[in-house]
Amino acid sequence: MAELLQNLIDGLGRGSIYALLALGVAVIFGVMHLLNFAHGELITVSGYATFWALSAGWSWYLVVPLIVAVSVVTSLVIERLAFSRVRGADDFTLLLTSFGVHFVVSAIFLLYVSASVKTFSRPGWVTNTYAVGFLRIEVFDTVVIGVTVLALVATSLLLQRTMFGLALRAAAADFDTARLMGVRSDSVIRGAFALSGVLAGIAGIFWLMRAGNTVPTAGVNPMLKGVLAALIGGLGSLRGAVLGGFVLGLAEVLLRSRLPDSLASLTEGVVFLLIALLFIFRPQGLISVAHAERV
Amino acid sequence: MFSDLRRDVVFPVLGAIVLFGLFLGAGAFYQGLLGGHERLVTFALIDAIIVLGIQIYVGNTGILSFGHIGFGAIAGYAFALSAISPVEKIKRVADAPFGLVDVHLDPWTSIAIAVVVVVTVAAVVGIGLARSGAESGAVSATVITLALLFVTHELARNWPDMTGGDRAGLSFRIGGALDSRVPIYIAFFGAIVVARLFAQSRMGRLAVAAREDNLAARAMGVNPLVQQMVGLLLSVGVVGVGASLRVYQKGSILPGDFFFNLTLVTLVMLIVGGRRSVTGALLGVGVITAGRELARRLGQDGFEIFGIGLDDAPLDWIFRPNLKMVFLGSAMLGFMIWRPAGLLDDWELDRWLHGKFGRRRTKPPVPLPMVAPGNSDALVVRGIDVAFGGFQALRDVSIDAGRQEVVGIIGPNGAGKTTLLNVITGLVPVDAGTVELGGVDLTGKQSFQIARHGLVRTFQNLRLFGALTVWENVEVSALVAQTTRDQPPLDVDALVAAAGLWEVRDRRARELDYGTSRRLELARAAAMSPTFLLLDEPTSGMSDTESMSMIEQVRSMAGVIGAGVVVIDHDLNFITGICDRIYCLDCGQVIAEGSPAEIQANPVVQAAYMGSSAQQ
Repeated sequence: MAELLQNLIDGLGRGSIYALLALGVAVIFGVMHLLNFAHGELITVSGYATFWALSAGWSWYLVVPLIVAVSVVTSLVIERLAFSRVRGADDFTLLLTSFGVHFVVSAIFLLYVSASVKTFSRPGWVTNTYAVGFLRIEVFDTVVIGVTVLALVATSLLLQRTMFGLALRAAAADFDTARLMGVRSDSVIRGAFALSGVLAGIAGIFWLMRAGNTVPTAGVNPMLKGVLAALIGGLGSLRGAVLGGFVLGLAEVLLRSRLPDSLASLTEGVVFLLIALLFIFRPQGLISVAHAERV
Repeated sequence: MFSDLRRDVVFPVLGAIVLFGLFLGAGAFYQGLLGGHERLVTFALIDAIIVLGIQIYVGNTGILSFGHIGFGAIAGYAFALSAISPVEKIKRVADAPFGLVDVHLDPWTSIAIAVVVVVTVAAVVGIGLARSGAESGAVSATVITLALLFVTHELARNWPDMTGGDRAGLSFRIGGALDSRVPIYIAFFGAIVVARLFAQSRMGRLAVAAREDNLAARAMGVNPLVQQMVGLLLSVGVVGVGASLRVYQKGSILPGDFFFNLTLVTLVMLIVGGRRSVTGALLGVGVITAGRELARRLGQDGFEIFGIGLDDAPLDWIFRPNLKMVFLGSAMLGFMIWRPAGLLDDWELDRWLHGKFGRRRTKPPVPLPMVAPGNSDALVVRGIDVAFGGFQALRDVSIDAGRQEVVGIIGPNGAGKTTLLNVITGLVPVDAGTVELGGVDLTGKQSFQIARHGLVRTFQNLRLFGALTVWENVEVSALVAQTTRDQPPLDVDALVAAAGLWEVRDRRARELDYGTSRRLELARAAAMSPTFLLLDEPTSGMSDTESMSMIEQVRSMAGVIGAGVVVIDHDLNFITGICDRIYCLDCGQVIAEGSPAEIQANPVVQAAYMGSSAQQ
């Protein structure tokens, strides 16, 4: 029981980051039907900015807003340079465009920075824990969960209460009709990329604080978690993406603590297998989105 | 399997010989005259086998796969574990399960085993891919392939008993059976032939039709999952051979060998040349191998290889190690943005040769004779209820249609006409009611099954197989009719001529004007030799004159195959001109039925449908 509770809290902490990443993926999928394999590159770029800023003597208090800013700007620049040119293209083109962006970004860091790991110091409190009854809770997880809840509430308010949110939801439901109703496609798409950048930035802060380093291929893992979580939740559903993030986080933590020692190193592989099984039995993901095709 | 031996077998094999020669010639030129590395050519040949394997699946089904290199990893390890001598294995994987340590087979058998293993895995994965692809589209299928790549990578890294782990891997020396290039040549030539023959086979043609328009293909009786599965297995088999040869030539296998980098390289090769074409895939392998090598040399040596010595020039910041990664990423991005179809799109050498030198009928064929339809196999629709959420789209709708008549369904917008057609063809599930054809209950069957039973439809918004020619569009459904409806082979030429499409038979469907596209849709449906043709607004967007000529068109198409016709339209002149009997729908209910004259005179119909203008 104690172990289960402990796993639950650890899983929520991990899942929070995945949920933020997945929500960013889902927002863009909603407006462009683009599954963004380059989403993790926002963290790669932020990671190098973090490395540079900390090396230059910045404090983490300044680095935190820097990460969000870099992530948003990167997201908008990528949209402008690559994705805006393939709007409305078929799935194949969209998927490979984002895959191409992923490779170009990581190759640029490989070419002009270094292939080796760049480490930076983590804030001291990241590894601290405190006790509640029989549970040992990480300060870090507490902060992550708290901030994520705030971010999700804020995003939800943004989507429900603002004109931009309405436009974005309308565009996600039916992009062409939304345009005919006067939604400006340019601004809604850019807004979606900015929002996705903010969410990835918040996730990136925690990701980088915990990792304490960056490499040219640092984006692969966060991208994979975000994309898979969005898919587990049901592509196109924003709620599903958040749910998928938490499910993925919990699944990882539970498996890691439950698998016999000889298999523990295979956790990731087993998680992927479980996801594959999920898709065999529930191909549309946890929350299914009706998408009627007009005939 | 093949409908035209010359076009589908002889020319593809001839084409394969030419491509094989050209590719080897380019390699020999590079090695001989430019003094290139032998290994580069060897690996280009192996890459080509892998890329051709991927092309079989990706090119014909249109589903992007990141997972083929994962399959390659499985094949590679299976090959290594079976081919390495026990002495070497004890050093690396002494604890391998299933008594694998003692296995020692010759390389040829090992390749065969690798292929069997990986095809078996692919069969399981393929079920998930098919289900997911059918339910939520190609995007989620693609993510599953990506997950597969990561699963194999994680397993390779973290299962050292089988794989030797992340660092050590499996390295070995195998006896000389594969040392010469001959096995690679054989596999390479085989891969070209397999890829081309699959594309020309019935399976391949149906896969391409589904790639072009999945929904329309299903409405023509194609079950795309079958073709996708066969394509996947064949494709993975070829990749398995390529991966085994790659492992052999490299003399080792590490988890990183079959991961992101190789995925990137092979995908770039595929898309640069043109993923829909075998010729294109090979061109891509050539271009990217050359470009990557150039980028690598420039990255290492700066400009020195040209003897110009711009070594310390301002351009130095570009020419650094790892330049080839930037080159590959940019190539992928650039082609997706500016030329997503690749250099050759779907141009195929052997098809070009066939067009130039193959014998073809040039004179229009004799028109098909009219067939008198039998009186059997009536279409009986009873008590259909359909609700979308709280909206009752159809309420207790019943219609009958005999094979010797043309039945019209009219009604104002939103009356439920298209929904009724969607119900009959299995695209919309019913809440209550039955659809029967000749006494066979078709309710709840999938659309491809219903099409095979003889109910074939057209679509209100055109759904042609855009990349296929007019002739091929018709041929696809003739192929389905032949294999699933036990119809005798149809004279495609004659049907194309009867539809007035003879002049444009070699044009791609996406290039046709609107009226011609409509005629083609009708001809394609007719080629299924259906019991009933179900037409969804065949005259929408047409002028009066065009609508009137459509009457002749529908009569002649239905006449040559002896089919009954059910037609939805709201062009009254057209409907009254063509129909023997008309049902009028309003608000999801049948409000009137009768001959065109009766319907026109019916006051209920006038009120509901024609509004005030009819009262004048």
